Amino acid sequence: MSGSMISVPSTPNTAGRALKLAACILALVFLSACGANQVVVEGKFPPPLMTRLPLTIGVWYPDEFSAHEFTDMAKNPRDSSWVVKTGEAQVQMWDTLWGGMFQNFEHMRAAPAPGVLNQMVDAVLIPHVDELQYAIPTQTHVKVYEIWMRYRFELVSVTGEPIAEWMMTAYGKTPTAFLQSDKKAVNLAAVMALRDAGANFVISFTRVPELSDWLDGIMPTTREIRP
Amino acid sequence: MIGAPVAGRVLRAALVSALAWLLTACVAATVDEMVFNEPTEGIGEASIVILGRRHASDYDTEPDFVECVGDHIASRDKEIQVIGELEFINSLYPWFEPRTAPLHPQDIDRLLLQEPVAQKLIELKTEYMIWIDGSTVRTNSSGSLACGIGPGGAGCFGFGTWGDEANYEAVIWDFTDKAEVGRISTTASGQSYMPAVVIPIPIIAPVQGTACDGIGDQLLEFLSSKY
Repeated sequence: MSGSMISVPSTPNTAGRALKLAACILALVFLSACGANQVVVEGKFPPPLMTRLPLTIGVWYPDEFSAHEFTDMAKNPRDSSWVVKTGEAQVQMWDTLWGGMFQNFEHMRAAPAPGVLNQMVDAVLIPHVDELQYAIPTQTHVKVYEIWMRYRFELVSVTGEPIAEWMMTAYGKTPTAFLQSDKKAVNLAAVMALRDAGANFVISFTRVPELSDWLDGIMPTTREIRP
Repeated sequence: MIGAPVAGRVLRAALVSALAWLLTACVAATVDEMVFNEPTEGIGEASIVILGRRHASDYDTEPDFVECVGDHIASRDKEIQVIGELEFINSLYPWFEPRTAPLHPQDIDRLLLQEPVAQKLIELKTEYMIWIDGSTVRTNSSGSLACGIGPGGAGCFGFGTWGDEANYEAVIWDFTDKAEVGRISTTASGQSYMPAVVIPIPIIAPVQGTACDGIGDQLLEFLSSKY
């Protein structure tokens, strides 16, 4: 049996391998059509142009925030599944924003809690993405790609005592463009949503009643420089 | 002897121009203009910025269109310095994001309360800010086109047609007087065709380009001393 196999001329063997290879490629093509669209959000975020608030603020990014991703599996074969990874871009944007918004800005060594050895700061910000939704033209029949996010921010003391907690939304959209892929458009919409989040944070930070009271307590003479 | 190649080149250029003309479908366009306080000597060494409005939920003013209008002005009057849209909104982040952008000329005063923003605007020598609002939409499409590939070659057969409509309005703000000094609107529509007998021949109506030229020419009349 093995001998007969050895004695088979090389041409049909090659043809067989080519056939197998073609079948594999075809299978891969079919399988790739079923795979999820994955977008790792990438963008450049400018620092804010504003008078820095005279505060030393620390930030603690929970793991689910710094590795944030959104997964939406298709419910029927005609739809496509999506995985949108925003974690890295989130950290990049918030670091840039807070670095330009506060006089001093630091990454905390550990989550704020009683007895934890951490840097001395006025307060610690802890961001969370509670919800993310997206829409692409094939779903909505409107020729824009959209990303909507709901954030929850905690401002706590170094020992973890709560100072304020508030919600904030962000929205980004981008029009359909000729020859622009769905992935590129979703990425751009996410970048727009992150920019919007930064803008919303800047204008709303001092307007949250609990925060306004806290700011009045620690920097009462700076009302005029608050955005 | 030298005349023959030159004549050949002229003939080729004429043929290419004729082909380009034949492959361009017709566009109907109207431009309305209403301006006050036109600068009689042009804008001198000052600069202008052209920005797209992105407040509507169902469309976005295309960044390409905003860039097209800016290029149209800058290429026809080299003395006018046009600041790029992205450069401007990045350098003034987050004050010109869709959420925070001023909606009325009087809102500029609120922006100037931020010392770094006021400094940046002086640095950029921004004399006029032009807001463009609108979009180009597909109004209809019909026909069918089928393409195939086989061992003997590839080809397409069929006929497709579609209509586009562009609707844009440019509002001119005088930065020094913090007042609206002009309003230009343009509409353009056209029908594109794609007959295919083996090779598809696109006969495209340059609807957005015509709208860009219309708005650009009117803005030049307002801003430039040469027009």
